[in-house]
Amino acid sequence: MSPSGTPQTRRSLLRGFAAAAIGLPFALSTAACGGDNDDSGDSTTKNIELSVFWWGADKRAELTKKVLDLYHTKHPNVAFKTTWQGNSGYFDKLATEVAAGNAPDIFQIDDNAISEYAQRNIALDLTKYVDSKKIDLSRFPDSLVSYGKVDGKVAGIAAAENTPGMVYNKTLLASVGLPAPTIGMSWEDWIAEAAQITQKTGGKTFGTMDPSADYKALWLWLRGQGKELYNGKQLGFTVEDLTKWFELWKDARGRKAAPPADVIQSANSGDVTKQLVVTGKAATSFMWSNQVPELAKNTKDQLGVVSYPGDPKSQWARASMYWSVYRGSKHADEAADFINFFVNDPEAAKILGTERGLPANTELRTQVASTITDENMKTSLSFEDAITPKFGSAPPPPPKGHTKVKAALITYAESVQFGKASPQAAAQSFITEANADLSS
Amino acid sequence: MTATSTVTTRGQQARVPAKRRGPGRGGPRREGVAGYVFLSPWLLGLMGITAIPMLLSLYLSFTNYDTLSSFSDVHWIGLDNYRRMFTEDVHYLHSVRVTVLFALVTVPLKLTAALAVALLLNRTWRGIGLFRGLFYLPSLLGGSVALALVWFAIFSRDGAFNALLSAFGITGRSWVNDPDTALGTLVILGIWQFGAPMVIFLAGLKQIPVDLYEAASVDGAGAFSSFWHITLPMLSPVLFFNLVMETIHAFQGFTSAYVISNGTGGPVDSTMLYTLYLYIKGFTDFEMGYASAMAWVFLVVIGAITAVFFTTGRFWVHYSDGDDR
Repeated sequence: MSPSGTPQTRRSLLRGFAAAAIGLPFALSTAACGGDNDDSGDSTTKNIELSVFWWGADKRAELTKKVLDLYHTKHPNVAFKTTWQGNSGYFDKLATEVAAGNAPDIFQIDDNAISEYAQRNIALDLTKYVDSKKIDLSRFPDSLVSYGKVDGKVAGIAAAENTPGMVYNKTLLASVGLPAPTIGMSWEDWIAEAAQITQKTGGKTFGTMDPSADYKALWLWLRGQGKELYNGKQLGFTVEDLTKWFELWKDARGRKAAPPADVIQSANSGDVTKQLVVTGKAATSFMWSNQVPELAKNTKDQLGVVSYPGDPKSQWARASMYWSVYRGSKHADEAADFINFFVNDPEAAKILGTERGLPANTELRTQVASTITDENMKTSLSFEDAITPKFGSAPPPPPKGHTKVKAALITYAESVQFGKASPQAAAQSFITEANADLSS
Repeated sequence: MTATSTVTTRGQQARVPAKRRGPGRGGPRREGVAGYVFLSPWLLGLMGITAIPMLLSLYLSFTNYDTLSSFSDVHWIGLDNYRRMFTEDVHYLHSVRVTVLFALVTVPLKLTAALAVALLLNRTWRGIGLFRGLFYLPSLLGGSVALALVWFAIFSRDGAFNALLSAFGITGRSWVNDPDTALGTLVILGIWQFGAPMVIFLAGLKQIPVDLYEAASVDGAGAFSSFWHITLPMLSPVLFFNLVMETIHAFQGFTSAYVISNGTGGPVDSTMLYTLYLYIKGFTDFEMGYASAMAWVFLVVIGAITAVFFTTGRFWVHYSDGDDR
């Protein structure tokens, strides 16, 4: 085209571009359907392929693949197709694959999502395998078994056991001459001590993360008062309870036991590398007991772990994650057999160590414990050992809709942290929204 | 062609159709068939990848379709999704407000920055190509995740921006983690990527005949006056194009908000852009029917805004390029 062009072509070109751009929003509503599971399994031949999908870091992939290889050498007819990725985006991808009807035979899931998948009948009910001992749960702690049941159906088999753990900076507490937190202290006592930590460090490091946006902290606090996060498919607490919870932490921030809102917000995502205990912004973070080794990678300081404040009876044996079998799997029997191998085989347990949490099989737990050399894994393990005899009974896993409730708690807790809403108003809005989420 | 009817400037109407008739070979019909044959790969793609999924999403927007449920559970619920959006869902209306605010601030500032830099670069210095390249660089990185992560690092509490502030004795906060400033960091990121409109402005500036400026300076016009009376009117078609494109682009902002808020739209929903909320509804909450309805409302609104631009454009856009040589 000569520089002058024809006005016609140039204008229609501009219009054409604009029109093309208008079409783009559709891409959002329709895209993201990329499944990479090539379902070549054929049940008529003996050789089958099981697809396995999990989230986790490199270490988990390495260990899991070793176990898969081990199973393959024992059962040469079963090959595996593995897919794994980081936690973020995992459930988006799983949901998309389910929608497309090509979900993996075996997938990892956690208690946040297990009811969504069980009540929608996506996770196969494994009761018949458990009853026939094809998946042997006889050495599992009782509460761990019951925490895998949704509406009486076995929706997932605990891949490992885990407990919420308050991870603290041992080095820092020693340097300011304050005692480490202990199992069973009250929330109020802990906040008082946290205020002291802040004072001793000259305000450089705050005593504690503010976990008011964290559903698992709220849950344990509620259980300490004989209440539950959920009562069946409804909330198990009232506006007054939640107001008290928000006020407890508002007070903690006021006393400088907990850091300012923008610092808290950066850790609310749960991302291990951003936790205040490793960034040095606070002396403690509210995490899971098996995360100590992962956290330790991000700090030079030595870490310790205790239970969240409150009576340890509020705690129960939780699955750090489950293995579930896709309802549409053509090889459910083999999948069940593999899961049984994963949780009950001594060699597999030795390979897996405590990467996913403690072995669910208590007999293997002692075996594995003797082989652990990693200092941070030992920390996790000795905490889990100390708290196991104190466990209370397990509630059912959170109901369908929990994912939304969990997200709403973060939003409303943050609005209190930033002073955008009073504890009372935020609690009221949260309850209204959560009730709607749970009923839909 | 519709364009012909809206031409208002001097005498093009007669000239243009004459040109279009041209010295054709083989007749219009055969050319048309050949055209469609050549287009067919694209047409097939359009049908399979765009048109059919689009129609399906229109259908789904009237249903309770839930990503995880099987199709047998999909029920027609009429306009219920649309009703919920405007009457019950406070987060929806909030996301609309956030998006409009984001677009209203980003678009004018980005276009101003793009035009200003384009004017600066519209010279013939040595090495001007390097500067053009450098200013375009942020746009090459596009809406990438890596860039958003860098942004996150710069504006976090221990980031480079606070280090800069502390040099002036100011103690900053974590800008990306504060509901009052998080959207602001996204706006700055959006403005910083002004390369694409800048290049288009530059091309437009090059097209303005130099003799217009010469004539103006003979008549005693100053720099501002020639900018106002020559550059802006001559540039208005390009400005119009950039305005339409950037407005649409701003409404579609997603990646940076997704990355900076970790996919939550937080802190306190302050970065909950429309498309991010749509994504959360569809892929986190599994309410794909509702998300489809949101996408259609979005389409209609962007279409309406664009239509408004095209309607008002005739009052300020000067298509006079038929006059220069």
